[in-house]
Amino acid sequence: MAADNPIDPIHQFEISKIADIQLGGIDISFTNSSLFMVFALAATMALFVIGLSKKSIIPNRMQMLSELSYNFIANMLRDQVGDQGRAYFPFIFSLFMFIFFCNFIGLIPYTFTVTSHLIVTFAFAGLIFIAVTIIGFVKNGLGYLRIFYPSGIPIFLAPLIVPIEIISYLSKPISLSVRLCANMLAGHSILKIFAGFIVMLGFLGFAPLVFLVVLYALETLIAALQAYIFTILTCIYLNDALHPDH
Amino acid sequence: MKILLKAFLLTAPINFVYAAEGQKSAGLPQMDIATFPSQLFWLVITFSLLYLFMWKFVIPRLGATIEERRDKISNDINDADNLNTEATDILKKYDEQMASASQESNEIITNSKKAMLDHLETLKKENEEKVNSLISESQAKIKAQEEKSKIEIRNATLDTVKAIVSRYIENIPSDEEINKKLN
Repeated sequence: MAADNPIDPIHQFEISKIADIQLGGIDISFTNSSLFMVFALAATMALFVIGLSKKSIIPNRMQMLSELSYNFIANMLRDQVGDQGRAYFPFIFSLFMFIFFCNFIGLIPYTFTVTSHLIVTFAFAGLIFIAVTIIGFVKNGLGYLRIFYPSGIPIFLAPLIVPIEIISYLSKPISLSVRLCANMLAGHSILKIFAGFIVMLGFLGFAPLVFLVVLYALETLIAALQAYIFTILTCIYLNDALHPDH
Repeated sequence: MKILLKAFLLTAPINFVYAAEGQKSAGLPQMDIATFPSQLFWLVITFSLLYLFMWKFVIPRLGATIEERRDKISNDINDADNLNTEATDILKKYDEQMASASQESNEIITNSKKAMLDHLETLKKENEEKVNSLISESQAKIKAQEEKSKIEIRNATLDTVKAIVSRYIENIPSDEEINKKLN
């Protein structure tokens, strides 16, 4: 039923197999999701391959674009984490570009939004959470546990503060992944619903069309903003791991 | 990419959908656990490739380009600074030379003025002296002439008196007597 209705807003999130691949009883088929992951990878690669094809002191547009994105993330990392964050720059940069292109490719009609699936965003968030925790303990030893008891808090508040801090720490991957996924899911669903209204209303459809255009602009903003938020939160968590005292 | 997309769109209707596979579960496709291994597997592959690409290709090259540009800009700024200081030095030197030249010329002007005035002064003095001496000489000459004339007049008067008197009387008065009367 869901697959038959063209105006079903959830239809766009369905995953369909393109090539059936089974590995040791596990289904790792190449699906539309995988295809758009490849598209995001290809788009990023295209941007940088074209942008870096002829390095010049005075950059052309594509080089400018690649350098702007590089500087944007490099500055973000330097502001949030400082020079110690340099080692994690390839990951942060890849993370931003991947989410950015997944979000943007998903805005094109009839495409699939990789980041609208919780498992994908949760994979990133979980990886970041585990990595940040490991980095925290490696860099600070048991001193990393200080993040659960911020300095300057009276000792009698500790039984209250410490559990709250632990819960907030553990909920970081959930909030991080749900934020991105829910934004994509909700935005794309609303776009689809209003697109359906245009069809249903016939010539009166211009009203939802106007709304759709505005909404689409908003969704474009959100696509970039959510990639930014995901990346900057990763930087903030990384900073917490490197400097638990602050 | 357009071709790929077209291919995908063509194959999409015949693709078979996970959710439709088992039950007609109308839940969110996001909750379909059966798709998770595939999504995770391809996510790991694509993101690893992207990470490698970024780490090994993009960041070194972009970093080098940006570094190069920064070096070039700072070099250019340095060059400009050096040239600027050089120009300032030259301007300073020029100003100094101008100042010393004008001072020199001023000195020359005052010196020559002074020399001229001195010369004028001496000339004036010389002239004055000359004039004064001429005046006093002439005065002396005039005086002498006067004296001489006086004596001559007196002598002439004397002679005349003598002549007149001798015409009327025999007794010719002596010169002293006449002189006495004349005075």
